[in-house]
Amino acid sequence: MKKILIALILIGSVTGSIVNPCRAAEETKAEKRELIRLGAKLWPVYCNQCHNARPGSEFAPYQWDQIMMHMRALPNLPAQNARAILEYLKAGRD
Amino acid sequence: MIGKFLGRVGLLTIVILVLPIGSSWSADSDGPSSLREIKKEIKELAADREQALEKIQRLEKRVDQLENENAQIKAANTQIKTETVQTTEEVKTLQQSVEEGPSPGGMAKAVQGYLGSHTFTLTGSAGMDYIADQQSGALAGLPHQTQNSFFLDWEPMMLYRPNDWMLFEGVLGATFGNNGTGVDLSDALIYLFPNDFTTIVGGLFDLPFGDWYEDQSPMWVNKFVSAPLPYGVEPVVPPSELGLQLRNGMQWGDVGQDLDYTVYVGQGPGYSANVPGAVANSPVAIASKQTNGKAFGGRFRVYPIPLDSNLGRLELGVSSYDGKWLDGKWLTSWGVDFAYLMGSLQARGEWVSSYRQMPAPYSTDNRQGWYLQLGYYLNQLNLPGVPDELNTYIHRLEPLIRYSGVNQHYVDTDDIVAATGVGAGGIQMGLIPDFGLSGSPALYAPHSREVAFGLDYWIAPSIVWQNEFDLELPHAGGTFINGAGMTSAAGSIPNDKAFLSQFTIGF
Repeated sequence: MKKILIALILIGSVTGSIVNPCRAAEETKAEKRELIRLGAKLWPVYCNQCHNARPGSEFAPYQWDQIMMHMRALPNLPAQNARAILEYLKAGRD
Repeated sequence: MIGKFLGRVGLLTIVILVLPIGSSWSADSDGPSSLREIKKEIKELAADREQALEKIQRLEKRVDQLENENAQIKAANTQIKTETVQTTEEVKTLQQSVEEGPSPGGMAKAVQGYLGSHTFTLTGSAGMDYIADQQSGALAGLPHQTQNSFFLDWEPMMLYRPNDWMLFEGVLGATFGNNGTGVDLSDALIYLFPNDFTTIVGGLFDLPFGDWYEDQSPMWVNKFVSAPLPYGVEPVVPPSELGLQLRNGMQWGDVGQDLDYTVYVGQGPGYSANVPGAVANSPVAIASKQTNGKAFGGRFRVYPIPLDSNLGRLELGVSSYDGKWLDGKWLTSWGVDFAYLMGSLQARGEWVSSYRQMPAPYSTDNRQGWYLQLGYYLNQLNLPGVPDELNTYIHRLEPLIRYSGVNQHYVDTDDIVAATGVGAGGIQMGLIPDFGLSGSPALYAPHSREVAFGLDYWIAPSIVWQNEFDLELPHAGGTFINGAGMTSAAGSIPNDKAFLSQFTIGF
């Protein structure tokens, strides 16, 4: 049991920094536009994989921040794709 | 003007210079006094010329000055005109902004700033359910009744996000049914996102085994009212665990070609303990309290089709869950699953198998379960000759069909009369349905089979009215065991039919 736990922690440590998490670097406007474009492509497919895709207008941007953390974890979305979908959903409110 | 003046002065000078010549012809008679006068006049003229030149210079300077001043005035005038136009535009924009009010984006930023960095959101689902089950027959020795009942279920999910790499999630299930109100804690877990390549999850979580428990069980996500048999009242694997997960996903090819993994350790599988020795019972929702019952498992999924190929999205998965459930006795389980999405068509299916070592004199408890489900949205269907208004209603429909089954050696009769489902609130007597469960006795057959027909009417992406008609077609065979450990052959179980209707909202 202890060995398994130690192995899990080691894997986590090796695969990336534990201290500074997945905080996205400040994106330029062009990068953000590109993310939104990718998100628009992924949103209908990735979300519909499990349930009907819900439009960005259903929640406030700060709520999408939370919901997408949950939604990144359950289907194990690649981090970049999760960020793209999040930006697309939040852009739906602008 | 200056040129004209200079011309006159020049003419005058020439006259002056020429005149003395003419005069000299007659000067023979006038003498030196005339010459002096002429010279004097010349001097005076020269002085006048000097004065005139000075005056000309002053005037030229003045003209330059006036021209500069004029240019400055013109520039100032242009600037004033430009500023006036800009000010008018700004006033117009301000008036428009005031009339339109703040933009959603601006409002969102303001609200987010006001709320602070620690944010809290309540999501989840709620539903109301009607079940009619005409029980034509029941299991020998068990009370039963024909059902015609309403149920209510509320499953709030609370999300708390203290920063951008940590999330707490808690899910409660509250049901009002035949036996009153019950509340249950379904999930309570913490997510940590230390980087783009790792997600750590700890707490009480849905078992990452197949797609059902984690992804398909919320009532507005499940296309049917009821669960498929392998995840129903006699589940093949336990529904939850208490432990630690490491998980993540990555893109391995083009966009859409992903793979992901989940590995976890947990407290161990838990089984209801109605039968002495807990020999043949069903897994229970809350993980085992036995300290010697640790478990580990893993799930791996791959998505082979690129998004741009327009061939749909295919998910292929394998799962495994192993653990000690009693004094060194092991539960070993594995499963395979798929899901395919192509336009309006959705298909998914799973095969699940488990083997559980049993204390003597019982043989190994092995169970297998499966389901295959198909659904097709009619959102592209335009019936000819049908009014457009009617077609818009038809577009909201999704017909469904599902075939599911379970094989197992034993069924505990105490499980049949015990409470089932989320938040049922204690022991119930008889084959009483619960939220999303028809309560049919045929569900408890060791070899249960079910064909379910569904028709969903989607009001919004997360608001749906679901209707389900079940044909229970159990196969004969298997064993019943009661609380005293007495066994009896199951024999044939009567077929049954049930109708379930549910209005549910994902919020």
